[in-house]
Amino acid sequence: METRLERKKMIGGRMSNESFITLFMIGVLVVLFGVSCAIVPRFYLPQNMINLLTNNWYIIMLGIGVTFLLITGNFDMSVGGVIAMTGVLSVWFCQDATASQNALAVGLGLPYGVAIALALLCAMGIGAINAFFIARLKVPSIIITLGTMMIARGVAQIVAQGAQRNTSLPDVFGVLGGLTIPGMSIKLSVLVMAILVVAAFVFEKKTVAGRRTYLIGANSVAARLSGVNVRRHLTSLFIISSLLAGITGILLSSEFKAGGSSRAMGYEFDALVISLLGGVSIAGGFGSVLGMFVGAVILSVVTSAATGLLLSPDWQFTIKGVVTFIAILAQRFALDKRKG
Amino acid sequence: MELTDNVLEIRDLVKDFPSVRAVNRVSFDIKRNTVHCLVGENGAGKSTLIKILTGASARSSGSILLNGEAYTPHSTRDAKQHGISTLFQELNVVDQLTVEENLTLGMEDTTLGFLRKTDKINTMVNVMNSLEPSITPRQLVSTLSVAKKQIVEIAKAVATESDIIIMDEPTAAISESEIKRLFAIIKSLREKNVTVIYISHRLDEIFELGDYVTVMRDGKHIDTRPVSEIKDRSELVKMMIGKTVFEQYTPKEGECKDAILQVRNLSNHKLRDISFEVHEGEIIGFYGLVGAGKTELARAIYGVDPYEGEILFRGKKLPPFPDKVIAAGIALVPEERRSQGLFTILTIRGNVPVMNMRKISHNGFINAGQERKVTLDYIDKLRISTSSTEKEASKLSGGNQQKVVLAKCLFADADLLMLDEPTRGIDVGAKSEIYGIIRQLSKEGKSIMIFSSELPEVVNICDTIYLLYDGRMKATLRNGCDIDSEKILHIVTGGNVTSGDRGE
Repeated sequence: METRLERKKMIGGRMSNESFITLFMIGVLVVLFGVSCAIVPRFYLPQNMINLLTNNWYIIMLGIGVTFLLITGNFDMSVGGVIAMTGVLSVWFCQDATASQNALAVGLGLPYGVAIALALLCAMGIGAINAFFIARLKVPSIIITLGTMMIARGVAQIVAQGAQRNTSLPDVFGVLGGLTIPGMSIKLSVLVMAILVVAAFVFEKKTVAGRRTYLIGANSVAARLSGVNVRRHLTSLFIISSLLAGITGILLSSEFKAGGSSRAMGYEFDALVISLLGGVSIAGGFGSVLGMFVGAVILSVVTSAATGLLLSPDWQFTIKGVVTFIAILAQRFALDKRKG
Repeated sequence: MELTDNVLEIRDLVKDFPSVRAVNRVSFDIKRNTVHCLVGENGAGKSTLIKILTGASARSSGSILLNGEAYTPHSTRDAKQHGISTLFQELNVVDQLTVEENLTLGMEDTTLGFLRKTDKINTMVNVMNSLEPSITPRQLVSTLSVAKKQIVEIAKAVATESDIIIMDEPTAAISESEIKRLFAIIKSLREKNVTVIYISHRLDEIFELGDYVTVMRDGKHIDTRPVSEIKDRSELVKMMIGKTVFEQYTPKEGECKDAILQVRNLSNHKLRDISFEVHEGEIIGFYGLVGAGKTELARAIYGVDPYEGEILFRGKKLPPFPDKVIAAGIALVPEERRSQGLFTILTIRGNVPVMNMRKISHNGFINAGQERKVTLDYIDKLRISTSSTEKEASKLSGGNQQKVVLAKCLFADADLLMLDEPTRGIDVGAKSEIYGIIRQLSKEGKSIMIFSSELPEVVNICDTIYLLYDGRMKATLRNGCDIDSEKILHIVTGGNVTSGDRGE
């Protein structure tokens, strides 16, 4: 009897540091939201709250891959470029192939489904390049993914000739991005994001593969000696991260019915920022998808409060920067305090 | 000022670590302009002593007099300014710079931030020429052999008027002919008013090179004597090991079981033609000093390092990938607990099941209840002292951390366990607990390979002991009452093997 009690006590104990940070950031979010409601007119309206949760959907999609890679101790800076590349390619692949005066109106004339599949394959190709150099040849991820970031955007620029492709598209092209859930104003893209976040959460908390992600980040040498195939796991993660960026690119280009070479400029940094806001450690081995999601909402609250206060959009970057800075400092401080 | 006869006087020096006294009231003198050798088994306290001398580590109590004055270095830089330079095994030269630039590194003369050529360079280069004329100042250091890089470092130490140069196993990584050259240089340093403190496991070198020798054992100073007064290496070996008490070992009842692991003609960058067999339920020890190739042997079998030759496990060739080796039924407790074995930022629960996730998961999904149960089971079984399964591994003591690593490997359900330095840096209590676990495993029919640089360890628990020296298998011994520790030390320090030692 007594040993049973003892064992129970051993299992309980304190919550994990990840949960602590996530709760801490939820606290920060609640405070920021309260303050915003108090000073910004109409901030508390339900529609605004829904917007806060959903209008960053594309950054959150990227954030999933970026978070898992950060947990392994790697960066993925190529995701913004991959969005642009996938978007432009998906347009080009299914633009009408019959001759036109305008070179930007001529594509390959493939069926839409094939076009999407090919564009996603190209996105995964970028992930495979990342994986090859980083997982196999052990080149630092920051270098390689900065390189592929430019290559991906470069491909977009060549194909879109530095502008955008938006003519002679089949009607079906705009469907995915334009769909909303019947009876609600929520877009299909947002639903995809929500499903992926839930899936990522389950992956992180419940699966063996999710656990391996942390093992690699915590100590990749020990992970290898403990039987984790580090190379294969990293390769999968890089390809998945690029695939998620590719899906985002397809949805965005469908929404705008256009593929532009300057789409998603700087999104890789936003994805990094929300991960860091959510408590993911760049040293690896620490962080969570839920935290990343909270980080995204914090960023969204701050920027929309600033807009609501009629601050000029020119202030957005500065405000984002200051908030990120303070939030991350507060986080480190809280964690150090807890560790004592 | 009149210089004293002794360049260094060490008095009652003590260094305490949380669970162990690494240096225990050590006192001895080092005479000026001599080559003073420092010997002892691993863990005797040599490196701790050197760390204190070079300022890398602070002493707990005691005093050191350098040229008759109190000496308390705060950093290696501080030690250098006091005239104590060190030639570490990891050399301190910059490969991408020239010899000349390396010599003056950190001491460049500048005008407004621009480098200026001064006499200093000439002095340096002259010193180097006198030591080794074949090195040219404009040469890139990356083009030099390890031995010549050492000479560049020695030249720098001499030219900056170091009184003492500490050399930590300088011959570990250089060839026979280069060793001769290095020795000639070391001998010539005496005329340049330099005292050399020389650390080596190769006892023959001490007779060739040393003026004095200090023997340490278990953190204590055993003796300091002129080398000329020591009869032969066996006398030195006796001083090193003292009266080691070998208790506890009880030989196995005789029957020879099936061979589970067969290694044939294994060679790689470190190993030379190693062959042996491990039988079911057998505890095998690999004993040798640092650099003998123990870790490399474990890593080769585990599929981490490449090799030539054949490794058969249950009659099948082992694939050279750790994940496949583990799946086949072999688990390794690596040499470096914190950097290779443990996930320090994860909890105990995050550590214990990692080598066999299959057992706590279904279709890739982790069964949290089972995971907790397993963790608790191992906490009980290995008596890991912790308040919770959720405690971060970094917060455990060394012994408990090692138990977590051991738990990881036991959970892998391996039939063959390889333990590399299984009790390094842990206290006596935890040590004997781990020995108990190893014996129990062997009774259950598991085979165990222990790679150790502690003789009492292998002699206490191993049925068969293989002696390694310089990547080669030197001898095979059946453990029993006639085990001769002197002979073992003779062999692993490079002594000749007499015909009787070989064979089964």
